[in-house]
Amino acid sequence: MKRFLLYGFYTLLIVVVGGAFAFKVFQPVQVLPRIRLAPGFALIDQAGERLTNEDLRGQFTLYNFGYTRCGSACDLSNQSMREMQDKLDELALGDIPVTLVTISFDPEYDTPERLQAYAESVGADPARWRFATIADPSLLKYVIGGGFETYYEAQDDGSFAFDPAFVLVDGWGIIRGEYRYQTMASDAERIMRHLEVLADEAINSKGSASVAYEAAHYFLCYAP
Amino acid sequence: MTTKQSMHIDPYEKNWIRLSIGLLVMFAAAVAVAGFALGIQVPTSEQRVDPKTVAEVGPWANPGLRELSPGKYEAYVLAQTWQFMPREMTVPAGSEITFYITSKDVQHGFKLQDTNLNVQIVPGQVSKLTITIDEPGEYTYICTEYCGLAHAAMFGKLIVE
Repeated sequence: MKRFLLYGFYTLLIVVVGGAFAFKVFQPVQVLPRIRLAPGFALIDQAGERLTNEDLRGQFTLYNFGYTRCGSACDLSNQSMREMQDKLDELALGDIPVTLVTISFDPEYDTPERLQAYAESVGADPARWRFATIADPSLLKYVIGGGFETYYEAQDDGSFAFDPAFVLVDGWGIIRGEYRYQTMASDAERIMRHLEVLADEAINSKGSASVAYEAAHYFLCYAP
Repeated sequence: MTTKQSMHIDPYEKNWIRLSIGLLVMFAAAVAVAGFALGIQVPTSEQRVDPKTVAEVGPWANPGLRELSPGKYEAYVLAQTWQFMPREMTVPAGSEITFYITSKDVQHGFKLQDTNLNVQIVPGQVSKLTITIDEPGEYTYICTEYCGLAHAAMFGKLIVE
């Protein structure tokens, strides 16, 4: 009897340890990391309307940062946003809406009218892709620099030093993806793949299945 | 009738077995406490980059320290044989610094002396680590992975003032 128990114990141990190992190696479930909380903010968008982080609860939001006098430095970033805007319908996201938000770091020049004109020039669909900013530059610095951890700095000639970046936020206001530099895949491709991973977790992580998703977080099974 | 036989284990040996199992349990508990209660982060590879072009486009083209918002900084560090770029950075005491480190050639290491920041730098991968340093002073960062002839000369300085 005692020996039986002992063997039972060893078998259980091997199953648990082996199972955990196999989970990490084969990664049957992949998630996106919960990086940190996204900042709170109240922006004014291109239609002159208030846009707060609370308005964007319950949906996925993709942020990028730029300004209307940016010229060719923002082209690639805008192209990626445009590509994603046009392909959102093809993604498997259930019914979860996605909003694209471009935050300008040049509030002095970028009035709602100028943002509106810029939005039209890059082919933004106002229902999906909004352009916004905050009038107070120091508040803006806390939101973009402190909250989204994205660097920008005004130069003497009125331009800005920055690196194109995207930040993906989920429906709970948690940052789930940051895209700050050229990786092996294109940003748009990766982000669209990540949106599907996020949607998969939001839709399926219920009841006992949520254990598998939490295990994926615990074992750092992050989608590449 | 079968006779019940159990292997004879010396009591002295038995105690050592118990102790070694106890140690394993203790280590597992320590890892769990460190991870969950103290929030110690294991450096994981952030994203993958192309080491051939990483020094030419994007933030590593001008490696260095940048202020995100008051008291919050990011440092893009490029490791190459046999130096770190930048070689020197200065931040005010109490700042939170996020390091994004990558290599453009071979494996390197990055250890910030007198802190618990220590990470492997693998070409093609980005190591991201965040630290807050309250104590003013000069903190040397050194390469901890043998990377060739002048490995010993590969270091830089973080000045906290």
